[in-house]
Amino acid sequence: MPDALPHILSTLLAGAVTVAQVASGAALIAFSLGLLLALATVFTTWPAVRVAIGAYIEWMRNVPALAHLFLLYFGLASVGVRFSPKAAAIVGLGLVGAAVLCDVFAAGIRALHVGQREAGLAVGLTPFQTLRCIVLPQMFRLTLPSIGNYTSQLIKDTSIASAIAAPEIMFYARNLVTSTFQTPLIYASAIVLYASIVFPVAWMFARMERRLGVGR
Amino acid sequence: MNEFFQAYPTYWPEWGPRLASAARVTAEISFFGFLLALVLAAGLVAMNRSRLPALRMASGAVVEFLRAVPLLALLLALYFGLPAVGLTLSGYWAGILGLGLQGAAYVAEVFRGGLDSVHKGQREAALASGMTPFQTFTAVVLPQALRVMLPPLVNCYVSLLKDSSLCALIATDELMLAARQISSEYFLPLHIFLLVGLIYFAIAFPLSMFSRLLGRKLSRGRRALGST
Repeated sequence: MPDALPHILSTLLAGAVTVAQVASGAALIAFSLGLLLALATVFTTWPAVRVAIGAYIEWMRNVPALAHLFLLYFGLASVGVRFSPKAAAIVGLGLVGAAVLCDVFAAGIRALHVGQREAGLAVGLTPFQTLRCIVLPQMFRLTLPSIGNYTSQLIKDTSIASAIAAPEIMFYARNLVTSTFQTPLIYASAIVLYASIVFPVAWMFARMERRLGVGR
Repeated sequence: MNEFFQAYPTYWPEWGPRLASAARVTAEISFFGFLLALVLAAGLVAMNRSRLPALRMASGAVVEFLRAVPLLALLLALYFGLPAVGLTLSGYWAGILGLGLQGAAYVAEVFRGGLDSVHKGQREAALASGMTPFQTFTAVVLPQALRVMLPPLVNCYVSLLKDSSLCALIATDELMLAARQISSEYFLPLHIFLLVGLIYFAIAFPLSMFSRLLGRKLSRGRRALGST
């Protein structure tokens, strides 16, 4: 049984690479689209835009991520749009994340005093400069705890990608079970591996929060 | 576009009953899972407020661990791993146990936040006016904590309901598994996953709205004390 451990760990570590790829790809979509949607919903003067973004957020947040992945991977394939498992996972988790982060960012911007923006404009900054130098840095500081929670959640959610055969940790774990039958050892290793990815990330965010004096 | 939707009335007599019984299983596992989460979380919070440092640390470690582990890994370990040590659970019960364990970590945070939100003067005043610790907790602290706790608790339930879809991967006959089976029989994955998405939405969305409404109602006219 101890002989099996190095084999199990090296196989699972190959899955950790996919976890990193899917998580960073999804995070890229989630942060950029989430920020864009948040700015649109806070600053738009068109009620229709706000309603459309609201509908998108509610759909994404009230349907399981697994259903989104199945829709993208199996559903769209049936009408000719084919994603690789990894791409479907990145797009699916990214779109869900954009809805989560849009809520977070919008709440962060709304929590700032109007005077921050008005003062920025009054001293001659352009609206874009005001956003980039005054509003967004404060918004990020305020929302850092939520961003940290989201990031941990995203890393854990990459495990769902194994359901559409993306070769990540749980996918390899299930393959290993059928080839070595060391079931408890394999799943225990997988759990420990996930925890050893999530803990440092959570710790990094906690450290960043302390540094920036969040909740001061 | 019309052709697309024609599939629904055509196949509803066959799909409907299967999805309905699967939806009942989803409702059951998420309900019992949440119930288990509430009980376990109450235990974790009681440990967290204990006078013994060892219990406090154990409670913190369990919460941290459960929050760092993906639910899917937990479910697979319970379903496939436990039989190796002599304990075989059906997908149904492994699902409830997994959902309950993971949910407990999140619910415990809500409980803790709610209790912390009650100013400690409330408790001191109640004790000073002669109430027993039990009366103080049930009549003074808990009612005030509940206002803060209820909206996030509803959100916890919504998360748990969505997460129950992962039980499909340990062969629990719930909505997502029924959807996968139907999709492989009828070759209409887009139709069926869209429909199942809508079923989840139809349950989760009203609850999310309710949580938001509750949050607004319960915080009305409440001045935060010492919570700046």
